Amino acid sequence: MAVPVLPNSSNFLGVALVINRSRDGPRFVFHYPPHIPAVDARPSSRGTDSDDLDDDDALMDRISNPAAGASSGSLPKGVDLANWNHDDHLETESGSQIVPWEHVGGFPTRDLESILTPPRAYDKKLFSVSLDQLCVASYPICVPENGVWKKKKRQPKSRPSLSTRAGGGDDGIGTSRNGDSPVLAANIPQIETHDMADEPLGQEAIDGPEDGTNPEEKKSGMTMFNLVFILNPNKHETKELVDTVYFHIIRKIIKAYKYAQQRSDFVWKESKRILQLKDKGREDKTRLSVLWRQILETSSLASSMQDIYEAVRANKIAALQLETPEGTVTHSVQIPVPFHLPDIPAADDVEAEGLRGLWVTTANNFADLDMATIDDLSFLDKTFALLLLYDEKKIISELQADGDDATNAMIEFVRLSKPTTSFHSIGQGPSLSPAQVRKYAQHFIFWRRAIAIPPLHARDVYIMSPNSKTSTLPLASQTWAKAFPLAPPLPNFLAELSTAPRPYKFFAPSKNHRPQYLQMLAWLMRGGWVTQLCTFAYVVVWPEIQYEVDYQIEADEIKNAKNPSATDDSASSPEAPTSQGSSFNGSDFGDADEEADRERASSAAQGSFASKSRPSSPASKADEDESLILSPSASAAPTDPLERSVSSLPPLPEARNPNESIAEAARLTRLADRRSRAHAEHAAQHARKRAPAATDHPSQNLEAAHLAHLAPYIILDAKKATGKESMYLSAIGRRFKDARVRASWPVFWKYFNGHSALERVCLMEDLKRKEAWALLTAMSEHLITVRHW
Amino acid sequence: MGQPRAATLSLTTRQPETQVPVDTRMHIPRTKIVAQSPPGCIVASQLAPHAKPLVDFDIIQEYIIPRKAFFNRFVTVNTPDNKYSILGFPVSIPNERYDRNEFIFNFGLVVESDCDFIPYERLVRRLAMTFAEMEKQGGYLSSEAKVDDGRRPIESLLEIVKEDLNNYGECMIPVDEANTINMKLFPYHPPPPPVRGWHVPVPKMKLTEIVDPTWDLTLQKLIPHIDGVNDVRRIAWLADVSLPLTQTALQHLLYYDTILLLDMFFFGGCYAPRPSIHDFVANRDGLVDECAGYVCLGGLGPSDSVAASSGSLSTGENTVGASTNVTPSKDVLGTTAQIPPQTSALAPQRVSNYQLIKLMTTFCVGRSVMEWIKLHTDAGWPVLSLIDVRRFIQFGVIKGLLYRVHKYVVSKQYLALLATGQARPLRDDERVGVRPGGLGEDEDGTAAGEGPAGGRGAWMGEDPLQRYTDGCHCFDQIITEQNMTAAEIVEKLKGFQAPAGDLTVFYR
Repeated sequence: MAVPVLPNSSNFLGVALVINRSRDGPRFVFHYPPHIPAVDARPSSRGTDSDDLDDDDALMDRISNPAAGASSGSLPKGVDLANWNHDDHLETESGSQIVPWEHVGGFPTRDLESILTPPRAYDKKLFSVSLDQLCVASYPICVPENGVWKKKKRQPKSRPSLSTRAGGGDDGIGTSRNGDSPVLAANIPQIETHDMADEPLGQEAIDGPEDGTNPEEKKSGMTMFNLVFILNPNKHETKELVDTVYFHIIRKIIKAYKYAQQRSDFVWKESKRILQLKDKGREDKTRLSVLWRQILETSSLASSMQDIYEAVRANKIAALQLETPEGTVTHSVQIPVPFHLPDIPAADDVEAEGLRGLWVTTANNFADLDMATIDDLSFLDKTFALLLLYDEKKIISELQADGDDATNAMIEFVRLSKPTTSFHSIGQGPSLSPAQVRKYAQHFIFWRRAIAIPPLHARDVYIMSPNSKTSTLPLASQTWAKAFPLAPPLPNFLAELSTAPRPYKFFAPSKNHRPQYLQMLAWLMRGGWVTQLCTFAYVVVWPEIQYEVDYQIEADEIKNAKNPSATDDSASSPEAPTSQGSSFNGSDFGDADEEADRERASSAAQGSFASKSRPSSPASKADEDESLILSPSASAAPTDPLERSVSSLPPLPEARNPNESIAEAARLTRLADRRSRAHAEHAAQHARKRAPAATDHPSQNLEAAHLAHLAPYIILDAKKATGKESMYLSAIGRRFKDARVRASWPVFWKYFNGHSALERVCLMEDLKRKEAWALLTAMSEHLITVRHW
Repeated sequence: MGQPRAATLSLTTRQPETQVPVDTRMHIPRTKIVAQSPPGCIVASQLAPHAKPLVDFDIIQEYIIPRKAFFNRFVTVNTPDNKYSILGFPVSIPNERYDRNEFIFNFGLVVESDCDFIPYERLVRRLAMTFAEMEKQGGYLSSEAKVDDGRRPIESLLEIVKEDLNNYGECMIPVDEANTINMKLFPYHPPPPPVRGWHVPVPKMKLTEIVDPTWDLTLQKLIPHIDGVNDVRRIAWLADVSLPLTQTALQHLLYYDTILLLDMFFFGGCYAPRPSIHDFVANRDGLVDECAGYVCLGGLGPSDSVAASSGSLSTGENTVGASTNVTPSKDVLGTTAQIPPQTSALAPQRVSNYQLIKLMTTFCVGRSVMEWIKLHTDAGWPVLSLIDVRRFIQFGVIKGLLYRVHKYVVSKQYLALLATGQARPLRDDERVGVRPGGLGEDEDGTAAGEGPAGGRGAWMGEDPLQRYTDGCHCFDQIITEQNMTAAEIVEKLKGFQAPAGDLTVFYR
């Protein structure tokens, strides 16, 4: 499967802030980390890209490098650049000063600042420039056309994304359903929520100083600011990386910056402060490291850039804190990461290494469910539980750190959430509503504090995950030993789980140990060491059943043909197929079936006799409507009455030539004749067939002469079965001797689609596990099963 | 090496919209478009007065002729609407003969933003370099429109480049009598995954038929031994090629998607279904029928006999490890060899779809191939005489229906050493393999037992197996690298100088 391209320390080099000023032009304000090396100097970038190195490029290097050295003017000669530590200031022979922070990514900042302040056309749009390997992406923000940053409307409502927490738009489960994302939660792209560390912004926004000054005076010296992300992607991943960072990080961070700028001219004021410090540092020849420490301490803008860099590089949640004069603006951004995989990645794929250790499961794969089911959220509630990824206490203290009205309910939710308890059962409790449960679960999952898993149960089977990250085994063993000092060592426990799949309860030495063992299981789930081994089923139609259904269809056809009026007077006819069908239900199946079959067979054999005895001969109908003669229902009628009827046809209103009508009549007679003969043959053939006989085990009955040519048939999705397949299903249903099994069969067959784990049937149907399994076992003869995660 | 690299080209990329060479001379203060194709795509042109420009030149000109620092670099920028991207390589040629002692030009491409830039990057670089050289030698660009020497105008060169690249993915530009530029768009293939000694390469095409004497010599030696049964290390030995060279050569075949890498087949091995087994049950795209054609013994093709013969060619005497992994397949094929007298007399026997589905779905974690065969044989279904089990499993693995459950051995003591940093984990890219018969030599010259030295705990002495006991090295690897059978490994592990219960074996 495709591995998502995420920023990491090798492809994400840094962030930089560039501004443009109305009078003084562009200025490179700040960048982090302090030293962003030139890409070409990085050995890895060239070494790994083997396709870079060929004759063509060698030629280009030869041509371009001397030229670049001469023309770029980036670094004057005469300085020992090779031994430069990029921290001190250097003095060239000509007396000019080389300032360590004035080179970013190998380029002088004064060149970068001009190229990174694009024209207004790029305002609030993706701006992406690449310079050889270096790729720069950003979302420039320009001052509004009137030159005033300040927003006239000061309603926090205008930006709901910054003032809500865990609420509002993040009806996550619903969102994920409507979108085509098959993932439960992690992939919901656009949830504008806040980290738990978030503070409500409403009050600051409201009680900000109301300065009704003239907008002209407020005209800022800054016309644009541009927070650029400096990337060094692998060539073939460029687009994906830029898109990911742009979509999840850049656009969202800029929102917070823009908000702070509009409120209190934050970006411009901070920029001025940083630039002053830099100018002073330039004069004093302050070391880069010293100056940067100073800037980071004084400017929350600079330190927010540091936070962004550190968090995005490690693909964590970046929490911004902008200390504006009007209060702290906080915002959190992240690139959502999947917490599970539907299938194992390729064994030796280097890029897939990032996916190692992820929980591998198909439980979150809803792609195959139809939308009708998906609209009903309760099925998710029943089959999922919350598995906290961190210690409960840690999460609760995080929540308590910034109390608001939802905090108590969320803490309650954390307390109630156990990996063994489904959302449904939490929602049934007194303290939380199902909607709350869903909302908070969504919140915790999105902010990576928890994942949703099918509730753990000691009767379910868990195996060592084929995607477990064994390279972490040494450390994990230690952690495990600390967490569960009395448990068997981790390698032994995993070995036991991996050897032969068994219900988990067998691993616990006694029933008293179960709770502890379930905690161990939760630990293993969290680390992606284990996964549930599930059973998936399809319905198999054994030849015997097929034969029975086919036979019945044939019999019905013949009967209908013989007895065209059956549909009209089905109520009076004891043999009408509908009444037959209903007579099966509830009666003793085996016998009734056979009887009916025999009856049908015999009636088919004596076809002509039976129909002759019928009073409602087609002739009378044919009198009424000529076209009926052509209908198949009439054609089975014996020839005599038909001939009679045809000859006795009254002349048609538009008096036809008598010869013509005679010829027409003769033609019809011939047709009917032929048809009836065919039917008689068909009936005779049918009569020769062996009547279906039900055995106790249709799966064993494969060799009988009349079944040998039939292969077992698999119904892929019993819920969507139509036509013959649904007849097969009801025929199978009639075979169950136990009334409970018979009753559950139509209820259960919707799970026999190869995608619904049988382990979860009990949760969906609110049955006891034992009961559900007993029923499923009773049905097992007609199921083919396969076991995977 | 890399002989076939030029042979597998086909162009499927999105097309570039236009070609834009921009030329600015320093005496003209403004950057200006000298030639464009189609006319009017960048700036208004008399040739196409109504053409709507694709991009706003005023906005992007700073990125076409940027500041000095960005000369002689591959520079791209997207348009504000993010529909197009401009790929360029601004070149500056300093020389006194120019008015401002410098001549700057850029041959750029406008491509749709969502197309793959990688093939075009080379092209842009090539154009820049060639014309820079021609300008340096004869002032080719700077004399344009000044001298009328009857040569092709740049505008028509661009036309050729654009049309040919869009239509054929390659172009040949006759610049003048002496010079022609040939360019081709090369599709990007991601770097192939590493080839391990215990992988089994399976050819996707008849390599023996397409190989010719111009191919790389190593490949020529290797190809006869790539039969879907031999593992990489064995191929190296059979072909008398060193293992690293074999791995590199196979990586080339992998790069062009001409081979697949599978695991070694053992009857003691274990396979388990993956979710895509649903496709098999559903017989999506005739998967089951394809499988039937591949595995049913009735239709045994000549390729199998090749596999069988090369399997039996193996000199199992001096290479124990090798014999273990070939013997089972020999068994399968050996059975087949006995069966044809009966089956070939009959019509090829086709196993029913249901039966194949049943077979495929009965693989399970914790059930070895042997047990799986027994399960079906006991149920009255003689698997071995009806299908080629190796091919059946290979089919499942290739199609992603099954995965191999590998066997690992873990020593808790060794884990503790690793956790405390007293031992260094063995990485897979450290080649410590020995090859049967001692053919070829290791890169680092380590003998079988030594391994990467240094920092290892002394508690087990220099036991060659210790470094495999961290749970990251499957038995297949130990078998090939240590030249032992699985049973021998287990036996040897029993002799480990470690406290009882230190070693555990898990499957994953």
